[in-house]
Amino acid sequence: MVVGVLALALAAGVPGASAGTSAPACPAAWNAGWQHLANVVKAPVYCPTWMPNPLDARIGGDWQDIYSVGKDRSYLVSFLYHGEGASGDVHVNFRGYPGRTTIPRCKTVILTGTKTLRGTKPCFADSAGVQTAPGIRATVYRVNQDADQWHILLAWRHAGSLYTVSEHRIAPYTDSQIATNLDRLLRSLVLVRPQG
Amino acid sequence: MRFTRRRFLGGAVAASLGGAGVYELVDRFTAAPARQPRPAVALPPEQHVIDLGLVESEGVPVVVPPLHHEVLTATLATADPAAAQQGLERALADLDDRYSLDAAGLGVTVAWGLPYFERYVPEQAKLHLPFDHRAGKPALLPARRFPSDPAGTILERNDVAILLRSDSRAHIDVARKALFDDLPYFSITSVRRGFAGGGFAGKQSLPKKMALAAGIPGADLIPDTSELFLGFTSTQKAGLGPRLIANHETLGFVDVRGGYFRGGTHMHLSHLDEDVAAWYLLFDFDERVLTTFRPGLTNVKRGAQTVPQGPKDVATQAETAAAFKRTGRFGHSASIQTTSRLLHDVVGPDGTLYPKGTAVPQRADFNTLDNPFAWSATPDADKMQKAPSAGLHFVVFNPSSDDFARNRLAMDGVLPDGTKLAVGPRSRAQGFNSVLTTTHRQNFLVPPRRHRSFPLAEL
Repeated sequence: MVVGVLALALAAGVPGASAGTSAPACPAAWNAGWQHLANVVKAPVYCPTWMPNPLDARIGGDWQDIYSVGKDRSYLVSFLYHGEGASGDVHVNFRGYPGRTTIPRCKTVILTGTKTLRGTKPCFADSAGVQTAPGIRATVYRVNQDADQWHILLAWRHAGSLYTVSEHRIAPYTDSQIATNLDRLLRSLVLVRPQG
Repeated sequence: MRFTRRRFLGGAVAASLGGAGVYELVDRFTAAPARQPRPAVALPPEQHVIDLGLVESEGVPVVVPPLHHEVLTATLATADPAAAQQGLERALADLDDRYSLDAAGLGVTVAWGLPYFERYVPEQAKLHLPFDHRAGKPALLPARRFPSDPAGTILERNDVAILLRSDSRAHIDVARKALFDDLPYFSITSVRRGFAGGGFAGKQSLPKKMALAAGIPGADLIPDTSELFLGFTSTQKAGLGPRLIANHETLGFVDVRGGYFRGGTHMHLSHLDEDVAAWYLLFDFDERVLTTFRPGLTNVKRGAQTVPQGPKDVATQAETAAAFKRTGRFGHSASIQTTSRLLHDVVGPDGTLYPKGTAVPQRADFNTLDNPFAWSATPDADKMQKAPSAGLHFVVFNPSSDDFARNRLAMDGVLPDGTKLAVGPRSRAQGFNSVLTTTHRQNFLVPPRRHRSFPLAEL
């Protein structure tokens, strides 16, 4: 399976990929879910037009893992391929924080004997450079919390909101392939605006 | 010639390398450090002392370790150590004549394990082995596991370990041949190789280059100029014991009895596997600082690699316990410093003043890509793997096994007064420990130079 995944990733006909390098619109098969999300959070959301093999980005589809919208309209949409045995995972998260641009803080819990110390820390930390795509200037974060733990995450601001995309650094993709995937994901993003 | 991960894994590089395997890349990636020529001096009575140069890193004096390291462990292939004593000493003396005792030349340290003393010279050992009266135990104890060690940590029983250190791989090759290939006295049980330094000049340090070439997960996350895989400079002068402090006799708590082992020391040897990816993906810079040094350390510039650890920066036991109560964490350095630094001024037998806060252990650890060793006589038992892995061969000189154990226990939150900081053995709250896995341990005695060859066998 691993070999198959990697071989397909290198092939031109990756399922879900948009033609060429332009990202004109959210793919028709995926658009309904992303449009619904934009409507629910009452803010633009970013739809990918490319996903690392074997994933697609159809909300409600075979690869969707987490779909969560908070009371503050922040959302997490996650797509996961869980490989057999120890062959690895392909896990991509999309987040949005409508109406806020600050890095959120995540809860921490430290157990010391019978005592529990609770605190918070930035959900995205250890910035390591900038990656750009048309209309996006994203900061790369290496140390991330909760569903983004072990992921490399790109975060950027748009129209008063914070957005992120991240991918788990784990086989079958190599570290450099994951960096390439994230660059390609970032370049594939298109805005889907709320309707109605 | 440029090495990419794909080429390395594809075997192109491995096929082009000689006996030293991946470590031949060390000399392709970096030149030997520039060192001041040293005047010829008489060899010191100690085997573990080697003169190394200093550089300044981020304003802190830092010792520049030898580039290449190798430890060979062995059992005896002779039943008559007394008859072998002169032959080994001649070979060692030849190496002394051939190479200067510094990093440009060669450092040779011959250390003997408890099995040697018990099996070959038991009666003499009863009379002469140093005794740690602070611990109420012999200065050389069998290896033990510590709270953060996995149950599978192998406690070894080698007769001897020989540590070879040099900027020149060729010097180490000559020494290995002279001591093992050309003499019939030893059966090698393991070969452990690695490298240190190479991180104080240039755009990318040796550990990062080696990790990248070997395809270590997380290698790209290692800071570019890092001295070690885990990112912080470990050889700062103030963090290493001065010249003679690790001798059995210097601090006064080890009785060298008749004096046979005066000028000797104790050596602990272990191998630790390091989860580089976890260290850089789960711990942000601030957390890496507080868990490596101490909680509450807020004045560390982002990206700093050399954090001062002078006598004034040492954490006391009370401070460490209080910080733990407040934050649920203790720093690696802070906890160890409760036992590894002097609590008061000490004057050594030669009149040298060791001020309060001085470090006692003399570390000679080095990064490795061995998994866990470069070679093993018992590959199944040692769980040898072909794929390289980031790790550390930890070599440290202390006055006794108990002194080392006190430091290692403190690293797990067991402070010298018995206070146990309540944190799980592999808890993330232990920071450093949670990304380290100890695979092997053993204690050794390092006799003074005059008795380095089959000690006590002549008696």
